[in-house]
Amino acid sequence: MSTFVQILRPDFLLRDALIGSVVVGLVCPLVGAYFVLRRMIFLGVALPQLSAAGIAFAFLVYGMTFGQHEHGAMGERALAMIGSFAFTLGGLIALAALERRGRETIDGRIGLTYAIATALTILFLASDPYGEAQMVNLLKGDFLATTATSLRGVAMVLAAVVVVLLAFRKELLLVSFDRELALVFGKRVWVWDGLLYLVMGVTISLGVTTAGPIVAFGFLVVPPLTARLVTRHMLTFSLAASAFGGFSAFAGFYLAYLADLPLGPTQVAFAVLLLAVVASATTLRRAALRWSAA
Amino acid sequence: MSKPILALHDVSLGYDGRPVLQHLTFEVEEGEFLALLGPNGGGKSTLLRGILGLMAPLTGRIEHGLDRKASPPGYVPQRDTLDPIFPLTASEVVLMGTYARLGPLRPVGRSQRRIAATAIEQVGLTSIADAPFWALSGGQKQRVLIARALAAEPRVLLLDEPTAGVDPGAAAAIMEVISRLNREQAMTVILVTHQLRQARPLVRSVIWVEDGTARKGPTATMLSPERIAEVFGAGVG
Repeated sequence: MSTFVQILRPDFLLRDALIGSVVVGLVCPLVGAYFVLRRMIFLGVALPQLSAAGIAFAFLVYGMTFGQHEHGAMGERALAMIGSFAFTLGGLIALAALERRGRETIDGRIGLTYAIATALTILFLASDPYGEAQMVNLLKGDFLATTATSLRGVAMVLAAVVVVLLAFRKELLLVSFDRELALVFGKRVWVWDGLLYLVMGVTISLGVTTAGPIVAFGFLVVPPLTARLVTRHMLTFSLAASAFGGFSAFAGFYLAYLADLPLGPTQVAFAVLLLAVVASATTLRRAALRWSAA
Repeated sequence: MSKPILALHDVSLGYDGRPVLQHLTFEVEEGEFLALLGPNGGGKSTLLRGILGLMAPLTGRIEHGLDRKASPPGYVPQRDTLDPIFPLTASEVVLMGTYARLGPLRPVGRSQRRIAATAIEQVGLTSIADAPFWALSGGQKQRVLIARALAAEPRVLLLDEPTAGVDPGAAAAIMEVISRLNREQAMTVILVTHQLRQARPLVRSVIWVEDGTARKGPTATMLSPERIAEVFGAGVG
């Protein structure tokens, strides 16, 4: 219990990391809800990997042009963010364009994206004459490296993401649920799809540079899957997904700190455990209802 | 003669530049109850998509008598095209119809909820408004989608096989709702169906879609026993 009280104290050494991970845990599922509802879950794996390739590419180009960057400086994070965002958004636009042509299956496109992104990440890293070892931390993502300044930046951008998702909730729902009806109503579907992709790109880039591809994928996908089991309204679904994500981030942080475990993987493992518990409880409840009805 | 709400002038419709339907020329008048009939794969849905503006004509032009922004059409798709993964209640689905007249940043308010509630009442589903959409029967889902179309407050209602895959009782209830809307509110109805028996007593005119083109005429002519026998052979209809 004393550990629990300790991490809640204002002077806790890793306070910025704790707040940062909870913010990412709260916001990623709001965006991830659209991945789940539009049946794009595997994009949640491929895009963070593409984002990692973008980070490696940005450092490679910087190194070849200007020489070695200063490790740990704000510029390093900004460089990572630019590379990550450019690759993620570029990937989303390319995948959306291919989807319109509809010649290949979506699984094939996503699998191809993942394979290319993983290969490119390794190739860019291997070609970088400076600091392959230093880069690994950035590519893995590390909440513990969160500073007060980077936390402010992440919080502000993710707050903007939440505002956009709330403000345009009805348009994003309409184009996701019934694209044809949106067209019949004269809505500019490509504008709303583009806005959603932009929001996805920003969130994934921030998630990956702050927490790494695996944690970003975990928070994008697992909490919405949990929320889908216990909600039947769109708004409560999004809010529950966000709450499950925030709770998993906090509980995972507590457990990692308590047992000296790696932070990101502990948070993802906790989110999956929560999904398993909720899924089991839902199954048992349905069985009990069937039994009592029989 | 009332004003045409829709006019096609020598229109061709198709995919990837290849026409499926050609030389389409007809008008639809305000308040008309019209069925698009024809064999499976004949191009009924292609014609409906063209009328809805979901595909541009390859040649010719389609004129709409109503400003689609000010008076959006009511559209009822086939229910199987919607994904059951979305956590939505019947009333949330109906509420989407009101989005037609709501611009960005304009939230759904009391007035939209009232319109949606009235639309649900019109199709006789008030008692299940809060039920999950996906838990409803096929016929109920179809009526929810009709209510969603009505929530757009349309003057034209376009329906794509609204009675496909539902039991005869539910199909009769759906057709009664559609017929009442046309009768009591003078709503123009364009209905894609392949169920001649259901359509014949209700619709005033028919567009027969077959052999890469479409012909329009009054129900009595287009669905006369002689014509049905000619198309399908004796004993059908």
